Amino acid sequence: MSTATVPLARPTRRDEAWRYAPHKVLDQLVLEPQANADTSVADDVLAQLPELDGAKLVIVNGIVNAELSNFDEPAGLSLSTLAQKRNTNASAIAAHFGGQPADVFEATNQASAADGAVITVADDAQVTQPIQVVHIASPGSANATSYAGVVIHVGQGASASVVETHVGNAANAGGSHVLTTVTLGQGATLNHLVLQDAPSNHVVISQVSVSQEANSTYNAHAFNLGASYGRLAFDVALSGNSAHTDLSGLYFGFGDQTLDQQVTVTHDATNCTSRQSFRGVLDDQSAGIFNGGIDVRPGADGTDAEQANDNLILSDRAEANSQPRLEILADDVACKHGSTVGQLDDTALYYLRSRGIGATQARRLLIDGFAHQVLDTVEIEAVRTWVSKRIGQSDA
Amino acid sequence: MLHVKDLTASIGGTQILRGLNLDVGAGEVHAIMGPNGSGKSTFAHALAGRDGYDISGTVTLEGEDLLDMEPEERAAAGVFMGFQYPVEIPGVNNMYFLRTALNSVRKARGEDEVSAREFLKVAQKAMDLVEMKKDFLNRAVNAGFSGGEKKRNEILQMAVMEPKLAVLDETDSGLDIDALRIIASGVNALRGPDRSMIVITHYQRLLDYIKPDYVHVLVDGKIVESGDHTLALHLEDHGYADFVNHDLDDAKPLSGVSS
Amino acid sequence: MSESLREIEELTEASYEYGFSTDLDTDIAPPGLTEDTVRLIAAKKNEPDWLLEWRLKAFEAWKTMEEPDWAKLDIEPIDYQALSYWAAPKQKPVLDSMDDVDPEIRDMFDKLGIPLHEQKMLSNVAVDAIVDSVSVTTTFKETLAEAGVIFCSFSEAVQDHPDLVREHLGSVVPVRDNFFAALNSAVFSDGSFCYIPKGVRCPMELSTYFRINSQNTGQFERTLIVAEDDSHVSYLEGCTAPQRDENQLHAAVVELVAKDRSEIKYSTVQNWYPGDENGLGGIYNFVTKRGRAHEDAKISWTQVETGSAITWKYPSVILQGDRSVGEFYSVALSSKRQQADTGTKMIHIGADTTSSIISKGISAGRGQNTYRGLVKVLRSAENARNYTQCDSLLLGSDCGAHTIPYIEAKNPTAQIEHEASTSKVGEDQLYYCRQRGMSEEDAMSMIVNGFCREVFNELPMEFAVEAQRLLSVSLEGSVG
Repeated sequence: MSTATVPLARPTRRDEAWRYAPHKVLDQLVLEPQANADTSVADDVLAQLPELDGAKLVIVNGIVNAELSNFDEPAGLSLSTLAQKRNTNASAIAAHFGGQPADVFEATNQASAADGAVITVADDAQVTQPIQVVHIASPGSANATSYAGVVIHVGQGASASVVETHVGNAANAGGSHVLTTVTLGQGATLNHLVLQDAPSNHVVISQVSVSQEANSTYNAHAFNLGASYGRLAFDVALSGNSAHTDLSGLYFGFGDQTLDQQVTVTHDATNCTSRQSFRGVLDDQSAGIFNGGIDVRPGADGTDAEQANDNLILSDRAEANSQPRLEILADDVACKHGSTVGQLDDTALYYLRSRGIGATQARRLLIDGFAHQVLDTVEIEAVRTWVSKRIGQSDA
Repeated sequence: MLHVKDLTASIGGTQILRGLNLDVGAGEVHAIMGPNGSGKSTFAHALAGRDGYDISGTVTLEGEDLLDMEPEERAAAGVFMGFQYPVEIPGVNNMYFLRTALNSVRKARGEDEVSAREFLKVAQKAMDLVEMKKDFLNRAVNAGFSGGEKKRNEILQMAVMEPKLAVLDETDSGLDIDALRIIASGVNALRGPDRSMIVITHYQRLLDYIKPDYVHVLVDGKIVESGDHTLALHLEDHGYADFVNHDLDDAKPLSGVSS
Repeated sequence: MSESLREIEELTEASYEYGFSTDLDTDIAPPGLTEDTVRLIAAKKNEPDWLLEWRLKAFEAWKTMEEPDWAKLDIEPIDYQALSYWAAPKQKPVLDSMDDVDPEIRDMFDKLGIPLHEQKMLSNVAVDAIVDSVSVTTTFKETLAEAGVIFCSFSEAVQDHPDLVREHLGSVVPVRDNFFAALNSAVFSDGSFCYIPKGVRCPMELSTYFRINSQNTGQFERTLIVAEDDSHVSYLEGCTAPQRDENQLHAAVVELVAKDRSEIKYSTVQNWYPGDENGLGGIYNFVTKRGRAHEDAKISWTQVETGSAITWKYPSVILQGDRSVGEFYSVALSSKRQQADTGTKMIHIGADTTSSIISKGISAGRGQNTYRGLVKVLRSAENARNYTQCDSLLLGSDCGAHTIPYIEAKNPTAQIEHEASTSKVGEDQLYYCRQRGMSEEDAMSMIVNGFCREVFNELPMEFAVEAQRLLSVSLEGSVG
């Protein structure tokens, strides 16, 4: 975290993980973190958040805003900020800053993110109330970028839910990068929800790295809805035997948005299972990207991995790019993936209309049905309502 | 023909067969019945040579030691196993599979391979036996077959392979009454003075159709009772309770069982 | 030299008299690739100016390009300046009898069940009872001539049908398409040319086997097939016989032009030397194969790739015309230390275009098998359809299977489906077969062949039988 050297160059189309990204937009971003950023937040931005009570950390331009936060700590939960932790117990978060950066954004984050959230769930604690982490970007000048870190550790046998929300203030174009590190102890469970609904002149990059010990479960839902370029990346390492990962996502593109999901699940232990299910709805000139990998390391026998990516293209200017990758280096595995691109089913539309439902509403119903297959697996009702309302607004 | 003496089998440290003794004479049909988990299928696999079991004891077929042989050598020696769950092999044509099997066995015995023409004749006869349509042979081995079709395919294979010893493992499981009748009549047609059979089943129902010469009750890895087909009827009425959970050495002869 | 042998030579070599009757005194160009090398090749082959210009353009492009590094291949760097780009066509040594043929190759012939006269022809053994082969070749030439089909060496085509070659050469694979295509365009040595006139259904399957002659085609092979409107051709490349070659690098280019309502079916069995268990000495096979399908035309690629140390190959179809169809059926086997990075590209441009991809990858030993494919639907491609199925089979725990598809859809009416699975040969499948009397190796080979069934079904009958045997032979020793 101290060596402020960022040796990497900006990504180009030649980088597989950035192949379909809007490089014109990305290249405009100022890489260096914005200095002396304002941490006040307009009410209309706050009004955008899901209605959830309880523990909440609000991070504005990469700095925790204590006034807006709620450090309520039910039994077994401990909340602090990255800035505090660096002063009091830096070794606990060393791994967060020590990973090999995948790109220049992550490297910059590691080198210069000053603050963020640290969530620790004690062994065997069952924290039922979702813990909120809210990232608000309010660029102080055009194309300013802010960086924040989130460290989540769920102890042995414990369970918790974390809702990370990315929103922002549209006054200036700009970007934010959040590096989230999740470690799950033996038998731990984390339900992780990532809601991205930044203004349409923002870039949001969320990089989540997960490391799982034996018998742990990581469930993630990623809703990629806002921003001109929204990138939700998950890098999950199944390092303990019999661990389970379930990732699902929904991206809903309008205007000239590019919504990018970058997923890698690495099976590095025996008898782990993983599921990836991502769905995209792409309207106007939007582009959807799914680059999902299942990586089975030598010796990871008993692996059972599945991956699905389904895309609905609604406009003749929209596009879907899908790369479902399999890398298998063990022989006792069952892996499969599927990817589809299609449009609304004419027969289904006709059927609905023949029952008296107007064309627009019929279309709406079918799109909802497609999206709800992801949404319905979310257990937190406030999040379900929030997403449902959000996607209902944008497609009239 | 078949002598099994003090056969034990364990898998992953769990003992399943605990000293099983059985003699099957030429042309005899022996039924082995027993509750779930008693070791019936393990016995079948021990005869057929499946990997993964720790086996001791002796098993000879016409004086030849089976236990030292690989599965394919046992097949060549005349052992045929009808699987409880016949395996699907996508893309491999049923007819090609069967001809390869037959010729492998013939080759191992030093016999000439059968030509495609001869084979078709043999296969046709076998298909009639289990009332199968011709397209059956052109489908992939067991892939997409219904439960009944899979079991009929096992009997069809048995008819073609002409084994000395047929071990039919739960051939009746998952069958409706029509399929059961077809399979039983197939098996009956294949009975003969030179062919012995071991019919493994959980229910007496199959034995209404295939009349065994002897019935054995297998409990906890041992044969605890032997008798004629009336033993099966007794089990039908009373279940296995009489044989389970009490000291078997003290078991009194059961009423209705001639020994 | 026997009378009969001379006959064969006349039959097979007469066509080269134009290309090689040069009196320049050098037989092998010094190593290195410069503009002079390109000029030397053109001069040696007595090529027209336009072709020299074309080669030079390719050479200029190649100089600015970089070797691709994205493929999942582990390659020793190739020193392009250390290679020699021109050698006078060499006579393969004529052998007296099959006894003089490398026993390993002879053994392979037997396992593949290749008829004796073919074995002799393939190994360049002097044939006594040649009547068969000669009559086969003669009949074949007569039949094609009657139908108006042109099937000859590339060099011959340049001399005899320059307009046809000029019109289509590089029309599907432009000179600067990729590093290896540019290299090939600059220095290609020879290859095949095939032209099917309008409305003609080629009366027989065209096999490079019939074109085999006593000369090495060289490492930079060029193939061009043009099917005019409403024509039909099935082309078989290579053969199942083991191919040895002292050239380690092979960079071929194949271009197919399928005009309106025509159909080209291109089948390949590639069995070049894969190298030994330690990966020493195998062939590097970097091929660019692409077809352009016009309205209602159909291009179908079928390949069985079991050879070469490294294979880099993506037979592709540009679905330009409305309602055109592209197909790709592939079996790729990597064992020992082989690496295969292969797949296809289906570029949908026309409306109502359809493509299907069936890929079966088998990894054994320390082999690495990668499927890499692109399905691209452009805005203009209304109602485009694609179905892709990629299955991988792993035999052993030291090998790898990789599936890297790219799907790019820019039209809302597109329907694209991609399915992939990875599995191993089940213990229970092996046991079942063995209980029926088959040896473990036979059982394995039967199950693997079953896995490849959908692809073998696309091959012409004889080819399919040989391919099946080839797969079994290539898998020998892979059963633990």
